Amino acid sequence: MNILVLGTVFLPLLGAALGLLMARNLKLQHGLGLATGTGAWLCSIGVLIANLESGPQVYRLGGWPTPFGIVLVADLLSAVFAVMSTTVVAAGILYALGCKDKVVSVPTFMPLFLCMGAGLNGALYTGDIFTMFVFIELMVIASVILVAISDNRLGLEAAIKYLLISSMGTLFLLVGIGALYATFGTLNMADIGRLLASGERPLLAQAAAVMLMCAFLLKSAVFPFHFWQPDFHTTAPTPVHSVLSSVVVKVGIYGLIRLITLMFTAEAPLIQNLLVILGVIGIFFGSLGALRTYDAKRLLAYSTFGQIGFILVGIGWGTPLALAGALVYAVNHSFIKSALLMITGAISSRTIGKTSRLSEIGGIGQKLVYTSGLYFLGGMALAGVPPMNGFISKVALIQGGIGAEGWLVLGLAVGAGMITLLYMMRTWQLIFQQEPDEYTKTKPTGDSQLAPSLLIALCIGLGLFATPLIDLASRVVTQLGEPQIYIRAVLGG
Amino acid sequence: MNVLFALATGAMFAMGVFQLLRRDLIKVAMGFYILFTAINFLLLAVGAFEGEHAAYVNAANQVEGGQPSDPLVQALILTAIVISFGSYALLTALIVVASRRFRTVNTDGIDRLQR
Repeated sequence: MNILVLGTVFLPLLGAALGLLMARNLKLQHGLGLATGTGAWLCSIGVLIANLESGPQVYRLGGWPTPFGIVLVADLLSAVFAVMSTTVVAAGILYALGCKDKVVSVPTFMPLFLCMGAGLNGALYTGDIFTMFVFIELMVIASVILVAISDNRLGLEAAIKYLLISSMGTLFLLVGIGALYATFGTLNMADIGRLLASGERPLLAQAAAVMLMCAFLLKSAVFPFHFWQPDFHTTAPTPVHSVLSSVVVKVGIYGLIRLITLMFTAEAPLIQNLLVILGVIGIFFGSLGALRTYDAKRLLAYSTFGQIGFILVGIGWGTPLALAGALVYAVNHSFIKSALLMITGAISSRTIGKTSRLSEIGGIGQKLVYTSGLYFLGGMALAGVPPMNGFISKVALIQGGIGAEGWLVLGLAVGAGMITLLYMMRTWQLIFQQEPDEYTKTKPTGDSQLAPSLLIALCIGLGLFATPLIDLASRVVTQLGEPQIYIRAVLGG
Repeated sequence: MNVLFALATGAMFAMGVFQLLRRDLIKVAMGFYILFTAINFLLLAVGAFEGEHAAYVNAANQVEGGQPSDPLVQALILTAIVISFGSYALLTALIVVASRRFRTVNTDGIDRLQR
């Protein structure tokens, strides 16, 4: 029983509830939001440290014995993903404090943002598949409202689209949960994993695997289910966009890893072959989409497709080295993408119409040397140029690919990775190097750049001192290779 | 009974999906709700026909009578109803705002986002 596991999920919920009570005093509410966000971040780090020292941390809600009660489990995979997500959410709150968008002064903005963070952490920590559905829905509903009230008036349209599409994902998830419950009579992921490993393998359980996979692919916006993502992410307010496009899409990745390492280990090779194909399609679709799009924020949303594709390819290769590479890639990509999105938001907050259209922001940043440097570093990290952390993640993934001998896919992935460099350089030149048009007007001040600076510093740090993260990833993979550790921690005995 | 229930659930899934693909957002919202009700039926079918009576215990912590029905299924459905009702309320609220802003509830009219 580790109370910190509970703290990571329930501190943001507490902040949301108290924040609604003090809706009249926005300063106090925002301060409380930052405090609870930071608290959750510290809790998740505490959970990770406890995990490294003494194995998976378990919290049984209400003290019920395990297969019957709901249980929060933080094994190394959950702990690493949770540290990643709480870091980005805390940075998003920090950005929101210095953000000049009108939506930030809406009294429900901060509670909704915290609800999104709580849903995210809960979905990563829970050991019960139905509770995972509940937390994912909490996250989806909070993010839909945040996008619907965005400063960008098109947010409403994108929110309706996403709510309908994500309800299809929920449908898949619920049908899968129903099928699993009908087969095994339990909703505990460890218990399901134990029963599946004991050789019981009816047809209904395999149908459940397909349903769950569809749901997770939809949450991550992978190829056949991807079309909602650029609209929904581009129209979101900047602090929300930086969370959506970096860590919310990783929930699906987390679910897929759980699915193939804990529950359906026998079906894993089949699923992994599919993931490699979907990943390669994602890499090409994302890179080419980013190359020809018209909006700087949309460009980064498209680029998320490509980066998710790299992670899927790493999971699909499935060797321990490739899986570790995929994890390093996932963590690094979250920090890089959220930092880049915050910088783009800070630039577009200096334009008159708060736009980020490439045709209107040319030359906006000509005088902003500091912002220019940050964007350059972020772009280099995304493209994978040393000494940034993006280089480390690319190297880790390519090593995995060489180990797995997936030569064709490896060549395609590296080739498409070059496109990233192309579009990041082009956008940087457009925004910071070009002469602005004579009728382009800019505001003297924009959003605060504290949060992106911290994230970029983190990116440089993870690039220069990469060994701890890589060691951590290989420990995660070792633990994933032995699902008995997870099962024993949850069920006892 | 089981076969009839399965047929009814299947028919509701079909209706829900059909309505969800309509152009009119009001009909889409109705399809959304029908789909979630169909899922609730599906979850109910998992455990509803096994037991004979509700799973209450007496003072001595013993279940009386024959086979009790599965209480977890009902708890799942209750949670799913709460969540689907919340999503439905949110969806209809968004449709109201959209109908004021775009002067239509036809999805062809609400299409200003560029590719």
